[in-house]
Amino acid sequence: MSGLKLRGIRKSFGAVEVLRGIDLDIEDKEFVVFVGPSGCGKSTLLRLIAGLETISGGELDIGDKRMNDVDPSRRGIAMVFQSYALYPHMTVRENMGFALRFAGVAKAEIDRQVTEAARILELEPLLNRRPKELSGGQRQRVAIGRAIVRHPQVFLFDEPLSNLDAELRVHMRIEIARLHKELATTIIYVTHDQVEAMTLADKIVVLRDGAIAQVGSPLKLYDDPDNLFVAGFIGSPKMNFLKGIVDGSVVRLPDHGNQTIPLVAKAAHGSEVTVGLRPEYFKAGGASQLDVTVEMVEHLGSESYAYARHGAGDVLTIATQNDRELKGGDKLSARFDPAKALLFDPAGQRIR
Amino acid sequence: MAQAKLGRSEQVTGWAFVAPALVLLGIFMIYPIIWSLWMSFQVGKGMNLSFGGWANIIRLTKDPVFIRALVNTCIFFVVQVPIMIVLALLFAVALNDPKLRFRGLFRTAIFLPCVTSLIAYSTLFKSMFATDGVVNNALIWLHVVSGPIPWLQDPFWAKVLIILAITWRWTGYNMIFYLAALQNIDRSIYEAARIDGIPAWARFTGITIPMLKPVILFTTIISTIGTLQLFDEVNNITIGGPSDATLTLSLYIYNLTFKFMPSFGYSATVSWVIVVIVAILSFLQFLIARDRRPAA
Repeated sequence: MSGLKLRGIRKSFGAVEVLRGIDLDIEDKEFVVFVGPSGCGKSTLLRLIAGLETISGGELDIGDKRMNDVDPSRRGIAMVFQSYALYPHMTVRENMGFALRFAGVAKAEIDRQVTEAARILELEPLLNRRPKELSGGQRQRVAIGRAIVRHPQVFLFDEPLSNLDAELRVHMRIEIARLHKELATTIIYVTHDQVEAMTLADKIVVLRDGAIAQVGSPLKLYDDPDNLFVAGFIGSPKMNFLKGIVDGSVVRLPDHGNQTIPLVAKAAHGSEVTVGLRPEYFKAGGASQLDVTVEMVEHLGSESYAYARHGAGDVLTIATQNDRELKGGDKLSARFDPAKALLFDPAGQRIR
Repeated sequence: MAQAKLGRSEQVTGWAFVAPALVLLGIFMIYPIIWSLWMSFQVGKGMNLSFGGWANIIRLTKDPVFIRALVNTCIFFVVQVPIMIVLALLFAVALNDPKLRFRGLFRTAIFLPCVTSLIAYSTLFKSMFATDGVVNNALIWLHVVSGPIPWLQDPFWAKVLIILAITWRWTGYNMIFYLAALQNIDRSIYEAARIDGIPAWARFTGITIPMLKPVILFTTIISTIGTLQLFDEVNNITIGGPSDATLTLSLYIYNLTFKFMPSFGYSATVSWVIVVIVAILSFLQFLIARDRRPAA
């Protein structure tokens, strides 16, 4: 068993509290992604789990064992760093085998382990090279190989793809997903890239200002966000937020020429709300509509994004699949299903 | 045409800017170096010189004082450089630990000796290590020794004193190089090693030392050259004594030129001996520290 249990985890650096009580359960063999904007504490949380920082308060269990004060090397974890952190003076083979030398593993066994890891990661032709003779993607694979040979219960990844170019990032993302299947271990992965989070995770933990904003499967967070922050953070392009005022059974949109849409959740008459509409919620045949003027269009081929507004209102992003003729200045009646609209109270919490 | 003209005038300007430095370098460095090489083949006293061929080199092999100075210099170099390099490394690693308190104070304290004047500290060492100086008094008071150590009178202790002095003076200087190099090492390499369960000693010998290798090579060569040219300390603290026990090659050159009946040719020969030794040792050190790739 190699699940993790975090209870009330806190971390302060001097007077600054970086993590303010994290409660989280991570199942065995689960792929969990911590995601959030920079400074939200996601890397710090990972470093607390790794044992690179001391926990200021709360309890950390890895596989039913209290790990708060256990040395990093005895937590059954392995970590892959953003900077790869390879030993520059050692060959790929030595990099991967270095830890095993100090774990009392026989030389023949080290060789076997390293060869096996190299096979999984397709590093065999590079075993006698030094890190400086490798490309970014190869270095990252060596860093992963160094983690694999230790057979950890839990893999920790700290923004592993941030230093790679876009194409390689997509490639390595698939590699890591494949690796997770092959190794069948728990993975905790930190990223600020919500696409990485969506594509890799079994479970996403969205962090904001040192607290958990929401935990859930990628599609759960996408379809059913608990608050404005998660709604805005997950999904690309971003969800549209429209200021509204509840007016009986409709929501009036003062910034959009007082157009109205049906009220889909319980909210008091006269209360202020925020209406959330994802760009792809706009579809022909929807029961509601917003009349807007297109300002600019981005054609991506498979779909187009129209940036449009009503009068001086906020710009809305509208995704269209079959409107290749659309151009700036066009009038558009953007139709959508009002049942899909999300409502948030002034504090940013979801109204269901 | 216009461009070529411009190019020529630019060249003239360029050379005009470099010329003063070149002239000064030529007069005060290159000319004396070449002249000293010529001089090393001259024999005779004072200005009464004549060409002697290999005579000076033959004289070297038969000169017991030269051999003495050479052996002394080698002892200083062989004993002192490793001690200082290891000390500087240990200080640097200790002072690089962010958990250490008063780091700035310690760094300054260890570096300070190398900005003090050579004469001032030599004079101070001489008085501190006198038979009734503070060092002996302190050692007696602490019951480390029963009687005063003859720092300046005994050939062995005089060497120890010189080694102590130059180590005190130069350790901080070398430490600064190591500190700078250490601060350039990505911290996550050490974090990765901690997670990998590499013990602290192995992180030092297996990661820190290999990563500092180029700097260690540099400081070793610089220190070797410095020790082979050792002059100020021995001239001020022991004056080469007692009975030439701390006489170094540099001090011997000085004596040959300015203290004894001037023997310019012979002292130039001794100077070139230092040059040759430095060249050989530096070459050897490069050879030892060369980046050896494991057989693929």
